[in-house]
Amino acid sequence: MSDRTGDLSRAESRETTITPLGAGRFLLSRDGRQRVAYAAQAGGATWVFLDGEVTVIALAPARAIAADEHASLAAPMPATVVAIAVQPGQKVAAGDVLIRLEAMKMELPVRSPRDATVVAVKCREGELVQPGVPLLELDEA
Amino acid sequence: MFTRILVANRGEIAVRILRTCRVMGIETVAVYSDADARALHVTLADQAVRIGGAAPAESYLSQTAILEAARATGAQAVHPGYGFLSENDAFAAACATAGLTFIGPSPDAMAKLGSKTAARRLAEAAGVPVVPGAVPDDQSDAALIAAATQVGFPVLLKPSEGGGGIGMKAVHAAADLPGAIAQARREADAAFGDGTLYVERLVTKPRHVEFQVLGDRHGTVVHLFERECSIQRRHQKVLEETPSTAVTPALRARMGAAAVALAKAAGYSNAGTVEFLVEGTGDRASFYFLEMNARLQVEHPITEAVTGVDLVRAQIEVAAGRPVPWTQEQLTQRGHAIEVRVCAEDPRQGFLPQAGVLALYREPAMPGVRVDSGVYEGGEVSVHYDSLLAKLVAWGETREAARLRAREALAHYPILGIRTNVPLLMRLLTHDRFVAGDLDTHFLDTEAASLIPADDSPTADARAVAAIVRRGGSGVTATAADTSWDPWASLGGRRV
Repeated sequence: MSDRTGDLSRAESRETTITPLGAGRFLLSRDGRQRVAYAAQAGGATWVFLDGEVTVIALAPARAIAADEHASLAAPMPATVVAIAVQPGQKVAAGDVLIRLEAMKMELPVRSPRDATVVAVKCREGELVQPGVPLLELDEA
Repeated sequence: MFTRILVANRGEIAVRILRTCRVMGIETVAVYSDADARALHVTLADQAVRIGGAAPAESYLSQTAILEAARATGAQAVHPGYGFLSENDAFAAACATAGLTFIGPSPDAMAKLGSKTAARRLAEAAGVPVVPGAVPDDQSDAALIAAATQVGFPVLLKPSEGGGGIGMKAVHAAADLPGAIAQARREADAAFGDGTLYVERLVTKPRHVEFQVLGDRHGTVVHLFERECSIQRRHQKVLEETPSTAVTPALRARMGAAAVALAKAAGYSNAGTVEFLVEGTGDRASFYFLEMNARLQVEHPITEAVTGVDLVRAQIEVAAGRPVPWTQEQLTQRGHAIEVRVCAEDPRQGFLPQAGVLALYREPAMPGVRVDSGVYEGGEVSVHYDSLLAKLVAWGETREAARLRAREALAHYPILGIRTNVPLLMRLLTHDRFVAGDLDTHFLDTEAASLIPADDSPTADARAVAAIVRRGGSGVTATAADTSWDPWASLGGRRV
């Protein structure tokens, strides 16, 4: 968290009185106007619901951008592998569909982030895969 | 009348059906997969039977397992809900063979309507207008491309079987056809076990208006007016309302008569929905028959809200051989109803479905608002089923009154722990074009920029609440791994 964030938080909490009501409910009061917020901690983040908008604040800072390429070769959510379109040694172009996943009746294509050669396939068709776990490896960029 | 009904479904629709059965004094049997052992529908039934693994094919789509559960519990009838086996004529026939009443149309009527091609021919014969299109007998890529070229671009590729928008692809140029055909065929085959495709002209700026019908086994069919379902994303409905702002009394009379004529031509009994595309507005708008859904629809509660009937009760009565409980003249529309579908999905990530534990989940309760849901706080949203968590239905004396109630209810519908489309629905309900009733089926795509703002940085108030929760204030906590977590157990004695 940056200093700026911390300052704002303190400044705001000075002006807005927040009273925990129990069971995840909070009464916010500012200049005589009241609102109710709801909050919970889940999945390593704090979730806040206020006026129909949801805010998710991660407990740890977001991972560096370098992790992005790996992330694109992993399932974004628990999903079933329906098709593996490539084999080890195969050259692929940026945007090529490497693997097709299916979750909640939706097809989710996993695309190559760049031109590369497939080094290894780390899943099999029909397998239920978890988010963040690499599905295949590409050679070094 | 039946004394015991098995509900062959899960989630909110199973809960909704179980509640009507209980009101009618009919005993209920729920079925569940391994993923649903603690689901809401299981706990609301008099009896519950495990029917198999989490994958739908092993449980909710297993005809053998469901028929065995019905036999073992002595159920006399099966309500299929929507999705799963609801439009499977082989299952309806298997129920009859097993001596069970299938609460839905006859296998014959389902077979006639379940295939889009057969349904089109039936509509044409009944004098109901249809969108220009074709289902080539030859399903090769070349034949499909030839059919699309003949119909004229843009075209829509659809699975001949099934519905719900699955496998449907809009194609604007011939060059895009081969890829779209392959994907549509694969999705159709995966979802419905049949890759047969259908090509039709894509009507531009269309409105999606459907009519609810109910028939009995004595040849009577009535309609319960229209539902406007133009707010869609990738052909999946997001918000429905009735009456439609595009339908005048004269158009309503023509469309209602067409819906009843089609149902009669199919020999249809029980609840069904006739879907139309409407082009233009006013008394002279054109309408085209799209398909008939041979089941109870997800959005049936808005019809219940304006007509004051219980459609599930009527389904059970006509399945038991009784006549349609109302005459056409007795049915009237009063006020306006809007339904929004609350889904576990992240609009900012291309509407990626979300799974996980509902760390905090509180449904709103207020005048004119009904929430049909299949989930509860602390429960887990599974990756195995679709992302619909609940339907929020608001009724008001006018469209504006219903809209404001829906908005107020959503503002008090906190769902935390997984992302949902509630913030999107809030913005949708206050969008200028929606407020004006200026809708078409491309609305969500056209207006995406204002409905899904790029900036989601936390407000200072939200950060301040989060800071209190992290310091051990009275937030509730849950982890995705701990599905046995009980929110109430963690609240005792906390002081801040």
